[in-house]
Amino acid sequence: MSELLISDNETVEQDQVSGENNVASGTKKLKVSKKSAKAKKRKGPGLRDVSILENPHRNKWRLIRWSFLLSVNFLFFASFYFDVQILEGSLSGSRLLGFHLADPFAALQMMLASQVFNINLIIGTTTVIIIYLLLGGRFFCSWVCPYHILAEWGETLHKYLLHKRIIKRNHVFNDRFKYFFFALFLLLSAFSGYTIFEVINPVAILSRSIVYGAGLIILWVVALLLFEIFYSRRAWCRYFCPVGVSYNLIGRIAPFKIHWNVKKCSNCKKCQRACMVPWVLKETVNMGAADYVVSGDCTRCGLCLDACEDGALSYNIRYLDKLI
Amino acid sequence: MKKAITRRFFFKKTSTAVIAGGAVVYGVAGVPLLKSKELLLRPPGALDEDTFLASCIKCGQCLQVCPPQVIDLAGISQGLGIGTPFIVPQQGACILCKGLPCVLACPTGALDHQISEGKEAAMGLAVLSKPETCLARKGENDILYELSRTTFETRLQALAETLTKLVPRLTFDEKKTISAELGLGNLELSGIPRIVAEMTPELFAWLKKYVAETEQTKTACRICLQTCPISSEQPIVFQAEKEANPESSKLNSVEKMRPVVQRTCVGCGVCEEKCPTTPPSITIVSRKKWQPQALKVKVQA
Repeated sequence: MSELLISDNETVEQDQVSGENNVASGTKKLKVSKKSAKAKKRKGPGLRDVSILENPHRNKWRLIRWSFLLSVNFLFFASFYFDVQILEGSLSGSRLLGFHLADPFAALQMMLASQVFNINLIIGTTTVIIIYLLLGGRFFCSWVCPYHILAEWGETLHKYLLHKRIIKRNHVFNDRFKYFFFALFLLLSAFSGYTIFEVINPVAILSRSIVYGAGLIILWVVALLLFEIFYSRRAWCRYFCPVGVSYNLIGRIAPFKIHWNVKKCSNCKKCQRACMVPWVLKETVNMGAADYVVSGDCTRCGLCLDACEDGALSYNIRYLDKLI
Repeated sequence: MKKAITRRFFFKKTSTAVIAGGAVVYGVAGVPLLKSKELLLRPPGALDEDTFLASCIKCGQCLQVCPPQVIDLAGISQGLGIGTPFIVPQQGACILCKGLPCVLACPTGALDHQISEGKEAAMGLAVLSKPETCLARKGENDILYELSRTTFETRLQALAETLTKLVPRLTFDEKKTISAELGLGNLELSGIPRIVAEMTPELFAWLKKYVAETEQTKTACRICLQTCPISSEQPIVFQAEKEANPESSKLNSVEKMRPVVQRTCVGCGVCEEKCPTTPPSITIVSRKKWQPQALKVKVQA
């Protein structure tokens, strides 16, 4: 069944008048599903984004990603709660079937603060760095981080509130703030001898809450979410998160990236509207700096892939195409 | 228009400065402010408190592998050590498991991998914090003490616990008498739930009376040593009291003893958990080191 979609409202009306599904329109044979015709009629022309009707798989990567994220976090929970013992620990440090894994930023703070260099920790950190070198840096953020999925829903809510004029505008900070935070908390842990950031790390707090149950400190995460919903969209992830910075740095050299096919691109900028970080696609799609999305803040979430109608964006491995 | 732009620019810069400044202030001033005043009891093998706080990655893997499930993770009320493991002995004490799984699970070495046995752990030290309530000092038997506080209506659960302690201490003839009275074939630990379930006020009164006559009541409470997971190391020694306590118990034949904590105590907290008095007469002081002089002064006082 070939499903051809229409962007023209007249065709829909024609379709309804004739009472058939197959309508000759010009030289092409159009087949319109009743559902899409209905949706079109309800919303009226021009109100609904055409791409939503045209791309039947527009949530493909989002759904894959959400199920992956939820299963990883469920695995953490189940390993303790049901004693499955597959992924023991939390996101700061864990063991996958006995192999140590450790969050690089937490490990770095810890080593600077305590000057204790444990071989297990070094193995765990290296393993995680290698995993994210293969998967692509801030892949962690959109595919694993439990705070991300809450913030993603918060972002939707924020957009809705903006649309309803309940909040006036989105406040923007400098996106280099997070590098300052990264350096600041590393310096502070070295000088104070304590892993200060881990007290306020929403990723670790949330991960521990999932596995061991929530304490009062969860209110801090709620406060951050409220700040994001009502004041600044995705503020923590975009401007502040030093954990994200550690993966950002890994992601810059990670070869697994979004590939941009210039020839197919119609320059519609739908990918940029879909992207969760406003500056990620700029360098590549706007300025044509490279064939790949090179920004370290790219989380490989796949929202731009879902949004692209030209098939110009795809997951690909940089450097590999040159080798072959 | 120019004024409006300047104002927005001003606010943007201000909010940025506030957040950056806040982070710095938090980082510098937060540590001494939030650090917990009272030292928590850490799992075995913990490095000294400052290094431990710095080197714990807060993953909770020690909690996951703990067989008696006594390790808890600190929350905001425990100060800056959010997510660090600690033990509250009265809610469940560390039993110094064989092989110390919590130490093996620690990915960072905050629980020192150098130790492999319970007797090497240095968590703290047991202290006779309330010598006036200690049953050994009063020459009181712990089972009698517990039974006297157990009433038929309110504390059947406590009765089960008391009987669990009592049964292994009874002689063969005593067991026989009790099982005959209760209508059981053999008095064993597995039969205790049935005894508790079928208990009547008359039987309970008889049991109280009979237990007071048993042979084991001739010795004072020694629960702290009996339950100690490393009792073979003799971490507690019972010394005879020099002066007779004026408020002595009715059984004059029981010798009044004082538990004295020795160097081998590691501070696991089982004695605190099992101590029959409420609040416990013996408690753990986290991170305390054993000192002979300090101990002597305490004995005299």
